[in-house]
Amino acid sequence: MNLSSSYLLSLTTFIYLGAAALYMIHWIFRVRQVGVLATVVTVGGFLVQTAGIILRWTESYRLGYGHAPLSNLYESLVFFSWVTILVYLVIEWRVKRRVIGAFATPFASLAMAYASFSPKVADSIEPLIPALQSNWLLAHVITCFLGYASFAVACGLGIMYLVKMKGAHHDEKPESVIGSLPRLKVLDDLMHQTIIFGFLWLSVGIITGAVWANQAWGTYWSWDPKETWSLITWFIYATALHARFVRGWAGQRIAWLSIIGFLSVIFTYFGVNFLLSGLHSYGSG
Amino acid sequence: MKKTATYSQENPVIRFFSSVHLAIFLLIALAVTSIIGTIIPQGQSQQFYLDNFGPTMSKLTKILHLNDTYHSWWYLSLLALFSTNLIVCTLKRLPFTLKLFKKDNLAVSSDYLTRMPYKRIWRVKDGVLDNELMQKLLSTFQKKAGSFQKKPNVDGGTLFLVEKGKWSYWGLYGVHLSILIIFLGAVFGSFYGFKGRIMLMEGETTDHAVRFDTAAPIPLGFSIRCDHFFVSFYDNGAPKEFRSDLTILEKGKEVLHKAILVNDPLEYKGVTFYQASYQAIPEVTIRVASSTGIQRSFIIPAFQKVSWPESSMTLALLKYIPNIHGVPAARIWIGDGTGQGHALWVLQGRTEKYTRGDTTYELSLVSASERYMTGLQVKKDPGVWIVWLGCTALILGFAIVFWVPHRRSWLWVGPKDGETQVILSGQTNKNKIHFEKDFRELEDSINSVLGNQ
Repeated sequence: MNLSSSYLLSLTTFIYLGAAALYMIHWIFRVRQVGVLATVVTVGGFLVQTAGIILRWTESYRLGYGHAPLSNLYESLVFFSWVTILVYLVIEWRVKRRVIGAFATPFASLAMAYASFSPKVADSIEPLIPALQSNWLLAHVITCFLGYASFAVACGLGIMYLVKMKGAHHDEKPESVIGSLPRLKVLDDLMHQTIIFGFLWLSVGIITGAVWANQAWGTYWSWDPKETWSLITWFIYATALHARFVRGWAGQRIAWLSIIGFLSVIFTYFGVNFLLSGLHSYGSG
Repeated sequence: MKKTATYSQENPVIRFFSSVHLAIFLLIALAVTSIIGTIIPQGQSQQFYLDNFGPTMSKLTKILHLNDTYHSWWYLSLLALFSTNLIVCTLKRLPFTLKLFKKDNLAVSSDYLTRMPYKRIWRVKDGVLDNELMQKLLSTFQKKAGSFQKKPNVDGGTLFLVEKGKWSYWGLYGVHLSILIIFLGAVFGSFYGFKGRIMLMEGETTDHAVRFDTAAPIPLGFSIRCDHFFVSFYDNGAPKEFRSDLTILEKGKEVLHKAILVNDPLEYKGVTFYQASYQAIPEVTIRVASSTGIQRSFIIPAFQKVSWPESSMTLALLKYIPNIHGVPAARIWIGDGTGQGHALWVLQGRTEKYTRGDTTYELSLVSASERYMTGLQVKKDPGVWIVWLGCTALILGFAIVFWVPHRRSWLWVGPKDGETQVILSGQTNKNKIHFEKDFRELEDSINSVLGNQ
């Protein structure tokens, strides 16, 4: 068999890296056609990746294991990058600003590059151990990663906001590097919307995890490091939402909270697996 | 909320608890302090902390209960303060929400409408806006915006209002209430439920579990038997399935059979049994032939003593090796009933001699097998449904708070500045982009009605 899922997923890594570079060029050199090309390449990469994920799924059946490709670190990274691209494409389609791609697609490319090239991440298809044999696996992983991906995009928007703000005083011409970024008000609103979307999915992700844990182990909450860190992340975004809603915090402060929140997401995702031990240890293989 | 004049007259205690500063401080404090328990290993002995963190940190761990951070007095106090703040803050907001909810959006002037963020004014020549056109205008308004309320004699004209999603102001209360419901469920469950474990050999029956926290036995009110335990592995050695076939007995009568898996527990009378672990327990059959001509066979399971009173002998299995030089071997302890004894290795297919006094015994290993012991986690949590109710309400509440907007679209028709004017204006409290799109569509439809004239 020459068309394997690993081939397609490795290919995706390069396509996304290319797309991120194109978005960067589009932003810095202000060439409209490059932006269109970046979108085309991203959509192409997304389709290749989707095919890769489906193929990996069918391959697992051929191996006799038969499970959705969401069961280890490699598969979750691939899925994280897939959802990040999906969330970004929806935003691009809705607000029609390709510049955002320069700040969002790098997250997806980096996740794929890490999945493909790190010796720490095994890409073999493994059977599901008894604890993972549940329909809640699908619901839990999908909802959590919808949250994580939204937070990645919100972090990109936060960085954009800070870049725009730093340069705003001396460079406001629409054709300049800073001037081409969306207005601060637009970025702020978009950041807020993306955080809201992520927050809702993170909440659903934590709840589905609790339901699953209750079914597998008889406790919906055991203060396992992964659970606790997801709650810490939840607290950070809850702070951002309340500060904005009741204290009128906006802009710079929310941009920083969005970056801090995403750092917490990264720690929940990797730090807990590599540095702390707990129930989610199967996520580290 | 903004400070108001009445704010300063309030009871300082209420002011403290209702402060939004406190809410944000608590959220950040919970986020930061929650990190502690993920870094310091939880539930270890005092000695462990002394060995790993030194005397100062070990003392601090003891004072602040960092060995069980999330149940420590200060963490629970933070959570209690958080709940209080949540309740007081929410209640304090109530009059404000009521005002928003009760606000009569028909009580506006035509000038107010022209100051709305979304608006459009049409000037129509006198006499053009006849009954027929008015009907057409209103039916377009209704079709695009929804069914409307009408109020005559507003600044000499007529006001029409479409209002949607006013109830969404209550979503916030749903979210905050649901968090309290989740806490309530957790507290209720911890008071009226228990968590424990049961270790059962295949074929064994028990009527109680052992509590995790106190190791005290908890009577179940019925009995549970493990009929079989099975474990299977994938080709790569990873476990594939752990399964216990369980039977529930009421007064010795079988009432329920179920095979439980890791993700498929058994629930009976509010008590749930989860597949948690297993152990393989060896069991050997030893034949003892005495020089006096008596011969007997004993089944010796691990952890148990078997006695032969006639020869004042006790036998126990100390160690079992399934394969040594191709045969199983067992290390057998032979006691004389006084605590004295002798241990020897018995390999299958060979005879070992043991002499006591003037009698010689010949021991041989007839057969060896492994029996399984299943480890069940046992739980009773009557609060879990309260927690799920809270979780559902939380998500529904979020959806309302974040995505259900309070939208108002006004249409005013009447004489203004010496001509007939049609004023369309709109307002929303969230998702302005989507509202603007809808408003422009409405504006275009009305424009095509009026523009044709």
